[in-house]
This record gives sequence, structure tokens and C-alpha cells, in this order.
Amino acid sequence: MRKRRTSLLQEVTVHGFLFVMAAAMILPFLWMISTSFKTPAEIFVLPPRWIPEEPTIGNYKELFSSINFGRPFMNTVIVASSITFLSLLISSMAGYAFAKFRFKGRDKVFFLILATLMVPGQMTMIPVFLLLRQLGLLNTYAGLILPGVASAFNIFFMRQFITTIPNELIEAARMDGAKESFIYFRIILPLSKPALTTIAIFTFTGSWNSFLWPLIIAQDESMYTLPVSVSVLAGQYGENLGIQMAGSCIVILPIIAFFLFAQRYFIKGIALTGLKG
Amino acid sequence: MKTNWVWVLTFIGPALILLMIFLIIPIFASFYLSLTDFNVFAMTDWSRARFVGLQNFVELFKDELFWKALINTFYCLVVAMPVTVALSLTCAVLLNREQTMFKSFFRTSFFLPFVTNTVAIAIVWSWLLNPGYGLINWFLSLFGIKGPNWLGDPKWAMPAVIMLVVWKAVGYNTILFLAGLQNIPDFLYEAAELDGATSWQRFWYITLPMLKPTMVFVTTMMIIGYLQLFEEPYMLTQGGPLNSTLSIVLYLYRQGFKFFKLGYASSIAVVLFLMISALTLLRLKLAEQE
Amino acid sequence: MKRSLLIILLVFALVTFSFAERTLKIWAMGEEAKNLSIMVEKFMKENPGVKVEVQAIPWSAAYDKILTGIAGMQLPDLAQMGTTWMAPFGAMGVFEELSSYMRNSFISEDLFFEGSWQTVKLHGGVYGIPWYVDVRVMFYRTDVLKEVGYDHAPQTWEELYDAAKKLAARGENMYGVSLLYTGVFGNEFMPFAWQAGGRIFDEKEKVRVTDPEFVEAIEYYARFFWEGLAPIGGGNLFQDFASGAVPIFFSGPWMVSMIDQQTPEIKGKWSVALMPRKKARTSFVGGSNWVIFNTSKNKDLAWKFIEFMTKPENQLEWYKIVGSLPAVKSVWEYPALAIDPVMKVLGEQLKDAKSPPNIPQWEEIANAISRRVEEVIYKKRTPQKAAELLKKDIEKIVK
Repeated sequence: MRKRRTSLLQEVTVHGFLFVMAAAMILPFLWMISTSFKTPAEIFVLPPRWIPEEPTIGNYKELFSSINFGRPFMNTVIVASSITFLSLLISSMAGYAFAKFRFKGRDKVFFLILATLMVPGQMTMIPVFLLLRQLGLLNTYAGLILPGVASAFNIFFMRQFITTIPNELIEAARMDGAKESFIYFRIILPLSKPALTTIAIFTFTGSWNSFLWPLIIAQDESMYTLPVSVSVLAGQYGENLGIQMAGSCIVILPIIAFFLFAQRYFIKGIALTGLKG
Repeated sequence: MKTNWVWVLTFIGPALILLMIFLIIPIFASFYLSLTDFNVFAMTDWSRARFVGLQNFVELFKDELFWKALINTFYCLVVAMPVTVALSLTCAVLLNREQTMFKSFFRTSFFLPFVTNTVAIAIVWSWLLNPGYGLINWFLSLFGIKGPNWLGDPKWAMPAVIMLVVWKAVGYNTILFLAGLQNIPDFLYEAAELDGATSWQRFWYITLPMLKPTMVFVTTMMIIGYLQLFEEPYMLTQGGPLNSTLSIVLYLYRQGFKFFKLGYASSIAVVLFLMISALTLLRLKLAEQE
Repeated sequence: MKRSLLIILLVFALVTFSFAERTLKIWAMGEEAKNLSIMVEKFMKENPGVKVEVQAIPWSAAYDKILTGIAGMQLPDLAQMGTTWMAPFGAMGVFEELSSYMRNSFISEDLFFEGSWQTVKLHGGVYGIPWYVDVRVMFYRTDVLKEVGYDHAPQTWEELYDAAKKLAARGENMYGVSLLYTGVFGNEFMPFAWQAGGRIFDEKEKVRVTDPEFVEAIEYYARFFWEGLAPIGGGNLFQDFASGAVPIFFSGPWMVSMIDQQTPEIKGKWSVALMPRKKARTSFVGGSNWVIFNTSKNKDLAWKFIEFMTKPENQLEWYKIVGSLPAVKSVWEYPALAIDPVMKVLGEQLKDAKSPPNIPQWEEIANAISRRVEEVIYKKRTPQKAAELLKKDIEKIVK
């Protein structure tokens, strides 16, 4: 594909704008990292020091010495990846059905699903807890995973995305006698890569950071996830920001790694060749 | 095509069952609560909650603080939504250009507000907004403007909360828009270019129409999300000063989980639900007409 | 055949009884949770055959964890309970009443500080045993106060006001004292009301917030803001204390080690003092109690653990481990506490400290107080008018 010509001025403006936005986004994050390497005395120095004068790894040492992060880390990996995988699967399936199937009551059911987003999460906390107790799922992985899989947000997003896939592609496959499962796996999924990547990132991040729910489900510490363990620990130091921030860094480092890995799939690559030919 | 119910159920069944168990049933349960006086004494013995009909709603409409919260919440929606859409759409379009450099860097930095720990965010923001030595007022002073006492002044606290709301939402929505932009086939642009369309025309006549499903999604989610404004005022101001940043969900949370008046809190949830669904339906109807 | 079966049964029973471990489950929060293991080890050594499991819960989410636990009746045997949480969770009817346990025990009311014991008493019964206490005192910069002519901490309301005035006159962005003005600050405001002789309810449970004493406290509190003696908006407590910009604040014992840790540069330049006197020098007492849940199958064992934690020698050991203030009065006579100058002030203050009314609606009342006092601070209402509205609010809440 040909590169479009642009003026230097235009490029400077565009990049200048993006840099200002990026700076605003990064600032708190940098502050968090820098604080995690500070001694308490240095945290509130004004003007703020972005690079500590006396950097210390004491905050991290303290955290790693008093807890074994192995088990909580594994719990979080298991829970977050299961939620992400299952949620991607069922929400892309439902999204496909809502976007491309015609059936009676479709819009009503869809709006019912959408309606679940309109009630604040606090309202459902206690009823869901009681339900899980009835199902015997407290203190189990299933109890940690299943409530997170049901995501109206993901279904809505997949539906909107799949709407933009041309009907001709699907109709052509149906003419050829392809089953819906074939269309879903061979046409819809491959074409939905950017959308799947997006919700994978959001779902994984959300369930990785999720804190209150794992704590409520866990009846003993063996089921704690990373954010819960870290906050138990960091909470002990009350206002000691250095340790708090070190704890946050430990929790989010794996997510940033995950993001860097996943965003490769944002590369533009859908030629929609089936249509061109 | 004739409806093949086997396929329909296969595809939406799993999602529907899970949503039924973990959302729809609990929501109906909490809606029922809105017709009772469920309070602290009923927590372990549900029989103590009495059915009171619409009494909670009657009380709610007489509740001065609820109206205050209502106004505050809509104030946030009306200001934050256009700003967020404008900023994140601009960022997404710029990131989607061939010529833009450091894309991976920009994408990653836009992702950061989404993962950064809320405690850190709250601390950094109260420092940024500090009237005496915060970064924002220092910046304003460069232009000879004396910055306001952001979190201490009832007039300025809500704008400060909105700044944080927008900050948290921009990166996130940029990524959503980006996914939508990725799905616009290149040949459309190529054809337009051959016809001599300017970049502004390409944006107006190709990008925006092709982005419609994403735009519908983003704005709908914004209506749903912003009307449930909670975390930002909770972190920054706890609703103060003078309740100028009290939002509906913050008020609901206070009534339900601080005062344990779950019946009353549920009636707030019902009213909120009705307002959000009315606006959402309106948005979706508009989308169909366009 | 029959005989062998009997033998097998007997052996089985023997094995079960001698090796059966009884497990005691405890919920504890924050710093207490982690360090509790040291005491738990000791307890298990004294009680062979007993296993204690502590589940650590972060303070930030403990409230929701307990609430869902109660709603679903998924509770441990005993738990640490913040004093201001006693009434609301107690009202849900899940705490074991402990009077009958106390009858055959060394634990009795007179072991504890009066203000602290108030927090375990709910509708006539005893629903918890104090574990540790905390109490608010005045923290002040000795050197900064000397600059404005105070070689001692302000002792009275008049002195505090006068000192704050002089401190604020030092220049721009200089203040006298830090007070809360937004959020929920019922627990921070009430000491001033008590000092003036005000109260929320009288003996007949009538609302008394329109009494002149209570109104006077509102006005005194708000005046610091009206005259710019207390900062509004922004700032950081530690930073402003260290720089001297805000050299007086009121807080609890946890601040002592935190100031040492976070701002070591002002070591030796600050001290603590009793609350200022109007009619009294009353402060706020908080802390944590032990509660046994009535769903527990190990209540006797749970009580044994509470007794263990209440023994003076163990209270002292606990003080040495985490530095929280012992709830048992006699422990304060040990040299470890008696010679420490800061502890001396805290101990003195504990003798004149109250807790807010122990009713489930307290949180709601505290919200109402904050709202009305805030309106006075921002000059939206006069103290008198605010008190009248507050009276109506509270009457509606407790109705």
C-alpha cells in the first residue's frame, strides 16, 4: 500500500498531541514506580523527585520476605486465564448470534442482557454470594471463575463488531452448505481478531486486578489471589506508600507484559480478501 | 432464512444461562427488595423485612440528597461524554495512521490508567489538584491564572472529578475505537484517494460511517458507565465538599452498605436502572434511524 | 466376630478422641492478622490438640467480607471487630452473648477502660471483649509552637484558638491546626462536643444537639475554617507537619510510629498532649474487640482464646509485638508502658475518653453530623440553624 504524503507540520502536530496525551497517562504510573523505590523520608519531598536520590529495594524485600507469592500467583493465573478464555468463547458465540441470526425476540433478549449492565455491581454482591453457597462453590476455582465469565459488556462489544462483517461472506458460506459452527470458527473468529484481542485484554486485566470478589469467595488463604495477598500485606503498613506502591507494581507487572504480548494482534491485517475476489 | 432454533440456542445458550444465574436473578432479587423495608435487622432473618409497597420511592422523591446526587451525576455525564469521545476518537484515528511513529509506545501508555492501582491514582490526583503546590495550578499560573481550590471548593470539586473520569476513560475508549478502525477495509480509503478526497473528507465519509457500530457501543457504554459514577468521587472527595460530588451510586452505596438500608438502596437502584435503560433505548433507537 | 468388631470400634474411638484436632478459625485484619501467628503458636503450645487458623483480611475490604459472611452465614469461630462496627453487625444478631462465659472467668468489666467497655455493650448484653484500644490525642510541633510563644501544648480551647491564630499569622499558606471538613468526620468532631459538655442523646434518649453546649462546639470547630486557621483542600498531613505549615493535628497512637518512619527529620521536634479543655478534655476511644459468632461449634475454645489474649502478660507481649495500646488497665503499670512519655499521655487520655452511642444507626448519624457541620464551615447555615436541622435528621434516623 502506498504511503500518503503528509506535511512535516502535520506530523509534528500529530505526534505532539499524542505525546501530551501519553505523558498525562504515564505520569501516575511513573510516580508509582518511583515511589516504590523510595524510603519514607523521600516520598513527600517537594518538588517531587522522579528518580529517588537514595533508591532502595527495601520495599520489595519486605514484601517478598513475608509472603510466598507462588500460590496466589498461580491462583490468579488460573482464574484470569480461565475467565478470559471462557468469556471470549461464549461472548463471541452470543455476539455472532445476535449480530447475524434472525430470530423472534432477538432484540428483547439482547436488551435484557444489556440491562444487566445498568444495575450497580454492589446490588448483586450478596445475592450472588448466597447463590454460590447454595451451589457449593464457595472456596473453589469455579466460584472464582464463573461469575466473571458472564459479561454483558463482552457480548455487546462482540455483537457490534461482528455486525461490521459483510453478510455476503456468511451467505456465500451458507450457500456452499457450511454449518454455522464452521462459519463461526472459520470466518467469524479469524475476522474478529482485533475485537477478540481488545476484550481479551480488558477481561484479563479486569479479572487479574479483581480484589473484592476473590476475597469474599475465599474461605481460607490458600484460595487468595495476588491482589488479595498483596493488599493484606500492604495494608499492614498503613500509610507506608513505598510498600503499597511496590505491592501495586508486583500486581500489574504481569499485566503489562501480557498487554505487550497481546497488542501484536492489533496489527492491521484484515484484507477481507474473500470479498475482493 | 428460516430460524434454526438449535443453532440459536447453541450460540446464545451458555451466555444466557450464566447471565441468568449471576446477574438476572440477583437483579430481580434486589428489585424485590426495593418494595420492602429491608434493613440491618433483617440481614440474618429475612422474615423481619416487611413489604411496604412503593413507600421507599415516595421517600426517595422527597429526599433532598437524592436530587442533589441526581443533578451531580447528570452534570458529569453531560460534560464528560463529549469530551471523552472527542479525545479518544482523535487518539485512535491518529494511532491508526500509517505515518504515526512509536505506535506501540503510545498504545501501551494509553493502557496504563486502566491497570494502575486505584490507591496510586487517588494519591497522585489529589497531589496534582493541590491548590498550593499541585502541578495543575502551577501550570495555570504560567499563564497568569490563579487556579481554584479544586477539591475544597464546592464549585470546582465536580470539574476536578470529571477530569479524573475523562483521564481514566480516554485510553480505554481509544483502544475500543482502535479495534473498530482496524476493521475498516483499506480499499475503501484507497478508492477514495483515487477520487481525490481530502483526509478530512475521508474521515467524514468513510471512517465515521464505518465506525458507527463502535460509536454506538462506546456511547451506550458511556451512558451506562457515567450514570453509575462511583469510584472517582469515592476516591477523591467521598462526595464532598457540601455534597457537590455526591453521585447516585455513591449515595446508594452509603444507604445500602454503610447504613444497611438495603430496601431503600434498592429503590435507588431501580430508579437509576429506569433512567439508564430509557436513555440507552433512546440511544439505540437513534442508531437505528440514522 | 462381635468381639473383634467391638475392639475395632474401641480403637477407632480412642484414635478419634486422642488425635482429633479441633480447629479454631479466626478472622483478623491488617497488621494484627500477620503478627497474630506469634500468639497463636503460643496458644497451641498451651493447648495441644488445638489447631488455630487465622485468615488475614485487608482492612479496606473487611467490611464487605463480614457483611457477605453474615448474609450467607459463612463465618469463622471468632473475629476481630472494630469498635464502631460492633453495633451494626451486632444488630444482625450474629454475636454470641458473653455474660455467662464471664461468670466463670477472670474476665470482668473492671479490667478495662470505661470508654472501651462501652463498645462491647449492646442492648444490655455483653457481645465482645476488648482486645486493644486507640485514643485520639493532640500532636504538635514543639519548636514551631515555641516560635509563637508557646513552650507547652495548648491546654484549653482558648489557648488552642489563640495559638492557631498566631500560627496562621506567620504568613501565606501557614495554618494553625488540621481538622477534617469533608467526608464523614463524626468521630473527629464528637470530642469537641463532649469537651463542651454537649451530647447527642440524654438518658431518656431525647436528641440534645440543640443544647447551647453542642451548638458552641459546632461554632468553635467551624471558626478555625472561617478565619483560615485550618486548611481546606489539599495538603498532606505528614508533609505539612514536617514543614511546619500545619503544626497541630489530632490523631491516634498509630501516628507515632508513622511520623518516625515517614518524617524522621523532625525527630525530637514534636510531642503529644491531651485534648484541649473546655469543660472536660474528653477524647474519642476506638480500637478492636473480640467477638464470637453464634454459629460457631467451638465456642468454649473461642472463649479460651479470648481469655488467653486478655491475660495481662499476653497483652503486654502483644503491645511489644505491634505497639497497639492494651485494653487491660493493669498492663499500663508495667515499666514498658509507664516510663514511655508518649504512652503516658495516651494512658492519661484514655481515662477521659468516650465512644459514640453504640447503636446500629451511628454511621448514619455521623454522616448527618458531618453534613450539617460542613454547612456551617462553608457558611451556608448558622450553627444554631444547623443544629436544629441536625436534630430533625437524627430524630428521623432513630425513629
